[in-house]
Amino acid sequence: MTTDWKEEVSKCSKCGKCQTVCPVFLETGDESSVSRGKISLAEALRDKQIVYTERLREHVYSCKKCMRCRKVCPSDVDYEVIISALLRGVADEMGIPLMPKIIFRYMLPRRILFDLMLKVGSKIQRFIPGKRRGQMRHLPLLFMGKRWIPTLAKKTALKKFSTTRKLKNPKMRVGLFTGCLINYIYVDIAEAVVDVLNRMNIEVVIPQGQLCCGTPSSTMGDHKSSKKLAEVNREVFESHNLDAIVSACATCTKSIKMDYLRTLGPSWQQMSDKIYDISEFIEKYCGNDYKAKPIDEKVTYHDPCHLMWVRGITEEPRDVLKKSSDFVDMDMAGSCCGGGGIFTIIHYDLTLKMLERKVNSIERSGADTVATNCPGCIMQIADGFAGKDSKVKTTHSIQILQKAMVNGGVDNSDTS
Amino acid sequence: MKFFQKTKKEVNKHQKALSELIRVVGEERILSAIEDRICYSYDATRQKVLPDIVVRPADTNDVSNTLKIASKYKVPIYARGAGSGLTGGAVPLMGGIVFDLKNMNRIIEISPDDFTATVEPGVVTKELQDEVAKFDLFYPPDPSSAAFSTIGGNVAECAGGITGLKYGVTRDYILSLEIVLPDGSVINTGGKALRSTTGYDLTRLFTGSEGTLGVFTKITVKLIPKPEKILTVAAYFSERDDAVDAADLIIDNNILPRTLEFLDQMTINAVRGYTGADIGEDVKALLLIDIDGTEGSISHEVPIIENACRESNAFRTKVAETAEERDAIWATRRSISPALYNIAPHKINEDICVPRSKIKEMLQRVDRIKTDQPIYIANFGHIGDGNIHVNTMYSDDPGQEELAESIVNKVMKEVVKLGGSISGEHGIGNKKSQFMELEIPSHEYEIMKKFKSYFDPKGIMNPGKMFIR
Ligand SMILES: Cc1cc2nc3c(=O)[nH]c(=O)nc-3n(C[C@H](O)[C@H](O)[C@H](O)COP(=O)(O)OP(=O)(O)OC[C@H]3O[C@@H](n4cnc5c(N)ncnc54)[C@H](O)[C@@H]3O)c2cc1C
Ligand code: SF4
Ligand code: SF4
Repeated sequence: MTTDWKEEVSKCSKCGKCQTVCPVFLETGDESSVSRGKISLAEALRDKQIVYTERLREHVYSCKKCMRCRKVCPSDVDYEVIISALLRGVADEMGIPLMPKIIFRYMLPRRILFDLMLKVGSKIQRFIPGKRRGQMRHLPLLFMGKRWIPTLAKKTALKKFSTTRKLKNPKMRVGLFTGCLINYIYVDIAEAVVDVLNRMNIEVVIPQGQLCCGTPSSTMGDHKSSKKLAEVNREVFESHNLDAIVSACATCTKSIKMDYLRTLGPSWQQMSDKIYDISEFIEKYCGNDYKAKPIDEKVTYHDPCHLMWVRGITEEPRDVLKKSSDFVDMDMAGSCCGGGGIFTIIHYDLTLKMLERKVNSIERSGADTVATNCPGCIMQIADGFAGKDSKVKTTHSIQILQKAMVNGGVDNSDTS
Repeated sequence: MKFFQKTKKEVNKHQKALSELIRVVGEERILSAIEDRICYSYDATRQKVLPDIVVRPADTNDVSNTLKIASKYKVPIYARGAGSGLTGGAVPLMGGIVFDLKNMNRIIEISPDDFTATVEPGVVTKELQDEVAKFDLFYPPDPSSAAFSTIGGNVAECAGGITGLKYGVTRDYILSLEIVLPDGSVINTGGKALRSTTGYDLTRLFTGSEGTLGVFTKITVKLIPKPEKILTVAAYFSERDDAVDAADLIIDNNILPRTLEFLDQMTINAVRGYTGADIGEDVKALLLIDIDGTEGSISHEVPIIENACRESNAFRTKVAETAEERDAIWATRRSISPALYNIAPHKINEDICVPRSKIKEMLQRVDRIKTDQPIYIANFGHIGDGNIHVNTMYSDDPGQEELAESIVNKVMKEVVKLGGSISGEHGIGNKKSQFMELEIPSHEYEIMKKFKSYFDPKGIMNPGKMFIR
């Protein structure tokens, strides 16, 4: 791995094409924002012409890791290898800021501790006034920043679904990888996944003991923590005999399906092949035989970076929405909402600009609701609308489908 | 990355210039940390030289103030657009100030009545094209880099592109320039009138000046009505010469296609190997032709083009009407660049241009130069204009780079012998300055240098480019 990136940077022909897609460059017009600039910094590090500094850290953290650049690169530069190496370098050479370190190293790998911490957080939260449309201003440790984020759930998804709802003759048995945001905040998304799949006669197991996918820590360059998390998750999921693993979080799906191949090695391939985004899974295995009565709502769809640009999945979520609502596409559906981890904290001003673009195109579409397949995007976009007092609702596409199935009274689950 | 070695005196002057720039232009417009300067050290030639300061002006005033200071302390200064240049134009060879114009990116006016648009230099070419299209207008110059290159860079390099045969190149669309000269004074050349014969044509002198004479801060371009329809024809040949003949015959039939692109066998093989494109092994040359106009003119021209191709022994022609079909054909063209890197990691891309009647001869001469030496040469490009991109691909093996360079050297000499130009559209920069005198007779060369020293007596504008000292 350590030698890899040094070769990878040499592949960049410096053509500049990555400028056309980079959402950060679009806002700053500054070469240090785009992969070509970061690759040049990596080259200078490789050649020992610079060392890790605060300024370098800022540049490294200004990447959204959306991988648009990788997708369009004519020289096939694997930018992910390069940015990961830079992030790891920053962490190794400069250390990780103390608070995240405590969370990543000690809390995330220990579910009970983390639960406890957030519980305390949710208590404090109730004393803070200013509740607006279900979003409230607060500072949980993981998502620091001046943002509106939703209240923490009283009962996590993992607790809520600790026992599997058994089906008698299920078509398949799948495991749900919840991910932190859905586990702690958007429990209703997990509920929708279970409900919809059950209605399709698919049994859903939520393996207890699963942990954070590892993205927040690897984004900070803390690969040790990420590896630990990946190993625990492997153990947990391999111990259940599952036909497939689904996730409703674009980032988690990318992480466990793709990043784990690097962290855990090729032995993960067999599991990786069984991992799906929720809409991808539904269209692949139930696409032809599920029925729903479209709800009477104009719904548009936002493409999360990690689904569209990393995995090329754009049709399946739309297919689901077309069958379950009055679907309209928006222009620039693939533009980044600006959400996402450390970037939002360090480059808050840029985050806001991207968010504004997104909110504007959603409004132009005339939709009542914007659906997407990533709780991170949901949080970000809802944040954008909460600040605006707009009527547009933000939700997950699986929740639209759930409504449509309830609407149509569809239930093929076999529990008799 | 290279560091230009400065004398103590020069370092001193740079320091003074920096503090004055901070005072006059403002700290927020200046980057001086090495982690920032590295990101402005290169262009698409992959050369890297570290600048001492990066200035990111917001308006003409900033540009003028910066140039005054650069002039005062004799600090070299390099205008920079998107840094997509292929001849080293934006590389700060001798250290000094990189002038990043990307932030001056407003479209000031689109005037459908006058058929003109006025923009700042940092506007991306495609953005201009898209914006004027909203008024059913058309800005034809279309370099393959249009999605990221800037108008300022296009004017400075006189960029061409695939629509050149019918519509000409950047030069043909520049009506007026606001230019800041190295001493900080601002001049305006030309005007919005579509014709003017008043005095010398300074607009043309500055177009293609590669940042060696002054910095453009406002550019007024000419627009034309947007063609109603575009249609694509692909023609497949089993002999290279047949494809060249077909291109001739199409033009002889009084048709100027919007685009007339040629791919030779090496190029086709590379694309097939890379994309798995469905192009048979028997295809030795390919023409990709776009025609535009009205429904009526196109349906008149398509059969003529197909006939011309068949008369020249094309064994197949394919007409694409819908956007998807057209896109599938053009995907082949777009994939050339990555496909070539798939055969060898390095390339020297020379955009030679010869008179149309000499294309066949030129390609033969390239063959003769290469003979059976262990290197790849792929030829493709704007055959309608005689502008062929000769790509010499080489590996990291010892001797390969030298071999590639010697081949390029010989190719350049043959180009000039055939009455051609060593650079059809990429400019000279520092990459091709060694070949300038092959094409430009010494008297003319001296005249050009006199122009240069008239406008830039202190030699601060983009030193090391165009002329060998
Ligand atoms: C993949 C790829 C495809 C390409 N295809 C084509 C093609 O089809 N046709 C073609 O002609 N070229 C092509 N090019 C070359 C390049 O894109 C053009 O030369 C383009 O015009 C450069 O624009 P830029 O904004 O990147 O300028 P830069 O590279 O930043 O600068 C180029 C030159 O312009 C000067 N300059 C920039 N802005 C100003 C200004 N405001 N005032 C004065 N001087 C200025 C600089 O000093 C420098 O000398 C291609 C390049 C790439 C990487
Ligand atoms: S698109 Fe790829 S090759 Fe081109 S500059 Fe960006 S990373 Fe480098
Ligand atoms: S990953 Fe996304 S944000 Fe980062 S450089 Fe590439 S395009 Fe820009």
